[in-house]
Amino acid sequence: MSLEEFKNRNVGEQSYRMLDLEHTPETGLGKFGQVAKRTVKGELFVGLWVTLREMKNALFGGKMHTIKYPLEKLPISPRYRAIHDMLRLLESGHYRCIGCGLCEKICISDCIKMDTRYDENQRKEVSEYTINFGRCIFCGYCAEVCPELAIVHGGRYETASEQRASFSLFEDMLTPIDALKQQKEFDGFGAVSPNADENIKKTPLAY
Amino acid sequence: MSNEITIKIDGIEYKTQEGEYILNAARANDIFIPAICYLTRCSPTLACRICLVEADGKRVYACNAKAKDGMEVTTTTEEILEERRAIMEVYDVNHPLQCGVCDQSGECELQNYTLELGVDSQSYMIPDTKRETIEWSSILHYDAGLCIVCERCTTVCKDMMGDSAIKTGPRGGEKLGKEQKSLMPKDAYAMWNKLQKSVIVPSNGTDQTNCSDCGECIAVCPVGALVSKDFVYTTNAWELKRVPATCAHCSSGCQIYYETKHTSIEDKTEKIYRVTNEWNYVSLCGAGRFGYDFENRVEGKDKEAFDRAVEALKKADTIKFNSVITNEEALMLQTLKDEFGKKLVNSDAYAFQQFLRAYSKPAGQILYGSDFKEIMKTDFVISVGASLRNDNPNARYAFNNIQKMNKGSGLYFHPIADSLISDMGKNIVTFAHKVGQEEAVLYLILDLFADKSKLAEDTIDYINSFHSTKTVIVKEKVMKSITETVTDKATGESKEITKKVPEMVEKEVEVDVNELVTLVGGDSKFADTFTKIMKKKETFSLIIGEDLYYHPKAKNLANLVALIETSCNMKVAMIPPKTNSLGVALICELDESEDGYVVGYNEIGDFEISALGSGDFDIPAMNQQEGTLTNMNKRVTPTNSALEYKGYELNDLMKSLGCNQDLTIDWTPLLASKRGFISANFDDLPNGYTNSGEENRGYALENLMKRDSDFEVNKFDDSIVLDGEIAYRCNPQRQFNDFTDKTHQIFESFSLYASPSKAKALGDKVEVNFGKESMVLGVVADDRMGGDIVSIPDFKSDKDVYSLFGRDRYKIVTIKKV
Amino acid sequence: MDATVLPEVTSLGVVIKAIIILTIISAIAGFGTYIERKILAFMQRRLGPTHVGPFGLLQIAADGIKLFTQEDIIPQNANKLIFQIAPAITAATAFIALASVPVFPDFIIPEFIPILGGTFVPSIAADINVGILFVLGMMAAGLYGPLLAGMAQANKWGIIGSARTAIQFLSYEVVTGLSILAPIMLVGSLSLVDFNEYQAGEFTEWLIWQQPVAFVLFLIAGFAETNRTPFDLLEHEAEVISGYATEYSGMRWGMFFIGEYANMITVAILASVMFLGGYNDLGFIAGWFIIILKISFFFFLMLWVRASWPHIRPDQLMWLCWKVLMPLALVNILITAIVMMI
Repeated sequence: MSLEEFKNRNVGEQSYRMLDLEHTPETGLGKFGQVAKRTVKGELFVGLWVTLREMKNALFGGKMHTIKYPLEKLPISPRYRAIHDMLRLLESGHYRCIGCGLCEKICISDCIKMDTRYDENQRKEVSEYTINFGRCIFCGYCAEVCPELAIVHGGRYETASEQRASFSLFEDMLTPIDALKQQKEFDGFGAVSPNADENIKKTPLAY
Repeated sequence: MSNEITIKIDGIEYKTQEGEYILNAARANDIFIPAICYLTRCSPTLACRICLVEADGKRVYACNAKAKDGMEVTTTTEEILEERRAIMEVYDVNHPLQCGVCDQSGECELQNYTLELGVDSQSYMIPDTKRETIEWSSILHYDAGLCIVCERCTTVCKDMMGDSAIKTGPRGGEKLGKEQKSLMPKDAYAMWNKLQKSVIVPSNGTDQTNCSDCGECIAVCPVGALVSKDFVYTTNAWELKRVPATCAHCSSGCQIYYETKHTSIEDKTEKIYRVTNEWNYVSLCGAGRFGYDFENRVEGKDKEAFDRAVEALKKADTIKFNSVITNEEALMLQTLKDEFGKKLVNSDAYAFQQFLRAYSKPAGQILYGSDFKEIMKTDFVISVGASLRNDNPNARYAFNNIQKMNKGSGLYFHPIADSLISDMGKNIVTFAHKVGQEEAVLYLILDLFADKSKLAEDTIDYINSFHSTKTVIVKEKVMKSITETVTDKATGESKEITKKVPEMVEKEVEVDVNELVTLVGGDSKFADTFTKIMKKKETFSLIIGEDLYYHPKAKNLANLVALIETSCNMKVAMIPPKTNSLGVALICELDESEDGYVVGYNEIGDFEISALGSGDFDIPAMNQQEGTLTNMNKRVTPTNSALEYKGYELNDLMKSLGCNQDLTIDWTPLLASKRGFISANFDDLPNGYTNSGEENRGYALENLMKRDSDFEVNKFDDSIVLDGEIAYRCNPQRQFNDFTDKTHQIFESFSLYASPSKAKALGDKVEVNFGKESMVLGVVADDRMGGDIVSIPDFKSDKDVYSLFGRDRYKIVTIKKV
Repeated sequence: MDATVLPEVTSLGVVIKAIIILTIISAIAGFGTYIERKILAFMQRRLGPTHVGPFGLLQIAADGIKLFTQEDIIPQNANKLIFQIAPAITAATAFIALASVPVFPDFIIPEFIPILGGTFVPSIAADINVGILFVLGMMAAGLYGPLLAGMAQANKWGIIGSARTAIQFLSYEVVTGLSILAPIMLVGSLSLVDFNEYQAGEFTEWLIWQQPVAFVLFLIAGFAETNRTPFDLLEHEAEVISGYATEYSGMRWGMFFIGEYANMITVAILASVMFLGGYNDLGFIAGWFIIILKISFFFFLMLWVRASWPHIRPDQLMWLCWKVLMPLALVNILITAIVMMI
């Protein structure tokens, strides 16, 4: 299912199919007839065949469903909202966060805090940034409000830790500089919509 | 001016004053007309042109069109909306889209109006010009890239502050194409044309402003272009909690908001990030705006110190305090005097109290008749005995505003020449009289302004004795016709040409010579100048400064002031020397001198109760406590605690001494026992301004009338005139007391201030000998000062400058180079 | 070689065989749980136990350790004695039933093995002439285990579980008995060894060809007797928590399971011996090997069915028993009898 189809919540547009179910027999004879019919039809053996086939597929067809979890992991949905990631600019490697404080403002569980200052390059520098994951409810508002697509929800869902602070420092959430090339653009909650270009009026820049 | 008229705005009738601008009339009646560049108490700038309205069918700018009776105003029409939208679009051209980091953080008028006018697309463009961020001073941070050149900063600096430290300068941007004119609305084009050419620069030609660092330009900036250097990028406006308060630094008692937030992620204690004000109605000085971090942080209640403080208070013979104190605290101290017979000594308020008392007898009222809000509406202002620049910023703003807004004139009498004052306007005459001649000054004012019928015979005679007539030869310009013969070189023809040539002719004129003018240092042409500056002037005011309270003949001066007030139809206001000197003068019975065991309250003493953190017992500073202050506009205004205080306060000491008021603010209604105050609960006191600029803060003191009594004014005494090396007790700008000194953004040092030439002569460091005692001070050149008199600050209480000067503000000293 | 075995040696041999059966069946029962988990997992395309030992083989050991060390909880209001005895009844009857079930052909211990070398070993522990009756009787007696367990534990799920035990086991006992009556009539003996002998030769000799209906009925009844899906009503989780075993923990609970697995093996052996030619050699394949295959098949079938089919409601169970299976069994006996008479 594509993302667009998945996002389509207009019930009725999807192609649902009604199942053609028989009526339950009322009379004893009818019931007996049903039993006899089902017996002769060998439906029970169909069931047996299905399980056997699946076993064959699993053992020899390489279709085993089990993911050996800590060793293997399934890719998660881009919409999944786990521990936040702070992204970097691909060109310069500088972190994207501009310290505007909107995430801090919108956070409904009041768990984001940041300190900013005026740095040597006349820029607003985020000197401290923390998310209190003891409070965070992973609502995703911060990712949605972020004007720079700097704070996004990442894939780190294994959030058991001895210390609540374990994930909460800016450096922990920031893409490691050596992993910059692997940094993926977030297309979940708060990402640029696919038709963003159509929704804005462009500023003329003819010169 | 107070003729009530009726105008119609959008079809509804409203009452307003004749001569009021349409914009202000609308604002007072809660009607919205967009305006970016207009400031209520300043002259219209006409930079933004967005306040365009239609009055009687004509397009006018609401900020500079005066309301006329029966005028019909339409605030919005299709065309006007189109024009306004075009203006906002132009403002948005090349404005950086970095709202995320901008310090205005949403409190942005550009943003608001852009949204208000529904600008969702851009039709104009022009190449951008690189504009650098400049730090104009140790305080001002100007990001030219964000500036929309609304000129509010320059306007307020000129019209209100009087510094005129900034102006518009060339931007170096690309010129607008001629064809643009036909493509866009007229006003938008005109606005753009101007915008594209200008940017704000310091007016002294350098990239550093030489001003009083009041930061009012920061307050009025509608965008994030002007920010205090300390505040840049530290916090968003929405995170700050606004605590309405009253500034505790000088007697102006301006309304301010302390804006607080936790210090950092690690440190959760509240911290004041900035001070803001209702800049349309009140202007702050540098101390008020930047001197906010004077709080006294204590860890908790120190029981031992408390017990010692109680013992000390019991033992005390004298309580020495200053006027950086709330009315409630003053009342507590007075209660100590009433109950236990302690002496109360307050160096700054005592002289003022004496002066007020001397004044109130002849004047028939306990307080001066007017206030600085009233004075601001007059068009002729006289200042006597105040170093306006240093003593009180709001008195100075009033003096300046009269020149700029009311097309007013001013007389400035002070022994120390001040170039700031003379720069405020062309119609200002400054007199650098000799120290001690204040009596003569007041006689001169009587002479110039008094309704002679109201004066006693002998006073008139005395004044007339200074007048004499003299025949002077005056040179006059006369135009004379001269006929010349000119030969044209080319043709060889001769022509006769008649020319008019000015010629100076000497003429004998009889002139009235006023000895008083010469006496107080006026020049011989004063009479002419005076007639010139008196033209069309209707309302007069007089500002009385601190010099008079400390004058040896203070009593006579007080009588003279009362006489001037009654006979000259002049509004008189006095500058209380320190924050709450007026309140203290009204509440406390002060004693002249201290003796025995002295408890110092923010002052030096045998036991020191101090909010400075250095004393034996800690009390909260002004930004940590609730209470009321009496300001120079005769108002009792509430102030609130912006920061938490964990320790004991004076009321706790009072409780253990048997005065059982639960809270400090429970003393507020008790103030009613003192003259002028009324019984009002602290929590009922408002602290704000209405839309029409009406001050709705606390309550006004009642100026109780007393029975008139006869009084005498004495002839002036020339023997007290000081000659020689004179020191003047005067603080630098932005320094008022220990608390301003404690704050990190106020740098003015405790030094000897002198005019540049004098400073050069004195060298770097001097020893000032006051006779018995002496002190060593650094020398700082103040390029606005003139003359040889030097200033010595008194803002540090531990230097005990008051006792060095004694009962005077001027003192003859000997200065030695060290 | 003549089978000259001294009576003492025989009784000693019986003890030895009993011990061997007990150990091996217990082990197989344990191993059965592993197999069951694996098979079920594969059929659902899962992996099953993998972590303990190679391929999760030591999971049995882990489970054993767990069962042995788990606290033995006896509910406060339970009838202590009966509560404690009940699991033993299940396990005991299951194992006793195996006494008269022949699995392998008789054999002689090879000469090279010291002491016992050359001894003739009849593989059956007790070759009694009413073997089938004994086995059926023992399995029927096994009903007391769950019944008493459920009633002793003072738990409503237990009570329901035991009530279900009573109706299910009793009802299907009828079907079991009637379904094998027809083969017994053909064989003319109640000894399982005779059954085996009757089918000696080619696989065409197998009783299944003569008695297919009896075979099917026996198999269905066998599922019910062993409390396997689709007839696992006694302890169906979704309905009665764990039924009669709700309050049991540790090894007592384990004994129910050993009993169940032992019963499964018994039924598998019975089905193999009675209908599928027993341990007779099939062509070149040795009898002992072929019966292992047969037993394994039936064991696997039980797991397979569990993986494939849903369980049925109690009323359907009764309906099936009394209205379908029993009449069919009777008809089958009648037809067999008529055929035999002709």
